[in-house]
Amino acid sequence: MDKNQILEEVQEIFRDVLDNEDIVLANETVADDIEEWDSLTHIQLIVAIEKHFKVKFTSKEILSWKNVGEMIDSISTK
Amino acid sequence: MDLSIFDREYHHQFEVTPAVYNAFQQCSGDFNPLHTQEEFAKSKGFNECVMYGNILNGFVSYFVGMLLPTQDVIIHSQDIAYKNPVFMNDKLDFTAKVEDISEAVQAVIFKFAFRNESGKVVAKGHVQIGVL
Repeated sequence: MDKNQILEEVQEIFRDVLDNEDIVLANETVADDIEEWDSLTHIQLIVAIEKHFKVKFTSKEILSWKNVGEMIDSISTK
Repeated sequence: MDLSIFDREYHHQFEVTPAVYNAFQQCSGDFNPLHTQEEFAKSKGFNECVMYGNILNGFVSYFVGMLLPTQDVIIHSQDIAYKNPVFMNDKLDFTAKVEDISEAVQAVIFKFAFRNESGKVVAKGHVQIGVL
């Protein structure tokens, strides 16, 4: 799947899970850029992304992500 | 933790006793006549007072806190849909099984259902737990 399309779909998941329709994701986006993105909502985001894309991550993989772009890279390689 | 320890079917029988009903009423402060006045409940088409649906959420709490193979758990989210009414002294068969596991964030989603003595589903839903 095209990375731009993955980014769009991930953005929709963020908007839904974090209840904020104004969220706009870019590859450079990090948790500090989004007020609602905390440790608990992070869990909900990962669970929702795994379900949506039918993929599974490892905890090591998640910890290695420095921004949304690296998350998208990870999804695109699965 | 290896989350495969959760992966089995769970069964438990709950009963909506007067003690459970009274405790929930005191806890919630909900005295809606559907739950407290038989005549009102009859006027709405029920044979007797309908039990509080959220009593079943209390039973889900018991499942998470007391029936899982470890106590190192916390509820992340829960949803429930009510399909049929529950009445006083109904015995409910509760079943649950794992629907999804996220090892990465140590989360487990269970799908659960409550059935009455006639075998009818009275409520079903999901509960997502995290391992502490």
